Amino acid sequence: MSGSTVETAADLPPDARQGLRRLVIALADAKRLMGIRYSDWLLGAPSIETGIAASSMAQDEWGHARLLYAMLKAFDMDPVQVEHERSSDEYCSPDALDRPFEDWAEVVAGCVVIDGAMSACLRSFAGGSYEPARSRVPKMLAEEEFHWDMAAAWYHRLAKASEEARTRLRDATLEMLPSTLAWMAPEDSAANALSDAGLTDGPGAIRSSFEAVVGPVLAELEIDLSTAEARSEGWDESRGRGPGGPDDDAIERARGDRNRMLFVE
Amino acid sequence: MHEVVYEVFARKERGEPLKHIGYIDAMDDALARVYAWKTYDEERWFEMCVVPRSCIIPVNRTDGPFAAAAPRKDRL
Repeated sequence: MSGSTVETAADLPPDARQGLRRLVIALADAKRLMGIRYSDWLLGAPSIETGIAASSMAQDEWGHARLLYAMLKAFDMDPVQVEHERSSDEYCSPDALDRPFEDWAEVVAGCVVIDGAMSACLRSFAGGSYEPARSRVPKMLAEEEFHWDMAAAWYHRLAKASEEARTRLRDATLEMLPSTLAWMAPEDSAANALSDAGLTDGPGAIRSSFEAVVGPVLAELEIDLSTAEARSEGWDESRGRGPGGPDDDAIERARGDRNRMLFVE
Repeated sequence: MHEVVYEVFARKERGEPLKHIGYIDAMDDALARVYAWKTYDEERWFEMCVVPRSCIIPVNRTDGPFAAAAPRKDRL
């Protein structure tokens, strides 16, 4: 990637600026939704300590989302409007976060696959030329190290557990992978503009970074990540994801609808 | 789900003695690290360590939480 840095989005050519805007919203929405999915397991996790960890991880994700949404000011966007007034079909989060995790195996698979993909994107963003990302993203990645430690440890545990646990974990992993690979490393003009401008790596390098970290963990279930294919049917280039969006409940929670109704303007 | 008890030690500053700040239950060392960091996150710790309770050998007591690892007198 380029050695010189870009101080502000206004310095970018229009296509790179558009790609950067999409990336920031995608990462922010992913963090917001991931936090909601973790928060579903504050109660009901396999142990009190696991629930506490899920709670802390949810807080981490929401904190990261808030920082990322704030970066949209560089595009003359109002973060409050973006956070609180969009509909589901405007969200740019990974398809695999569109519905809640149904069991602990799905939580663990999501933590490995989806959170792992988000971190691969963030590593690429932090190493690019956009100064606001270079200064803000490393702290997020440091906090994410504990998410990864928990994800890998639980994946290992379930992979060595009962046949039912292995089957559920494997099914969840294989269900999440294709759309998440497409979201993580899009191969479209917006993503190309980003890498051409040195703001991120290209999709091949992002995928390699993901495979280096996540591949050995998935191998515990004989899943060969190097042969996994991205699924991009119905690709929506404006959002960098497939069709659809998060379920209504998640959107209400992400926007804070129920509590904001109590506000006295 | 078999869990063991880990004791948690931490210090806020370099040079301070490690203090016992609590315990957690975990299935293995990897999860113990995460649970300890996430459970006792009210401070900005300089250093945190976890030790399986069973690895702590009592010196002068034969009762209390560490008694299980006490050397048996018939083997002394």
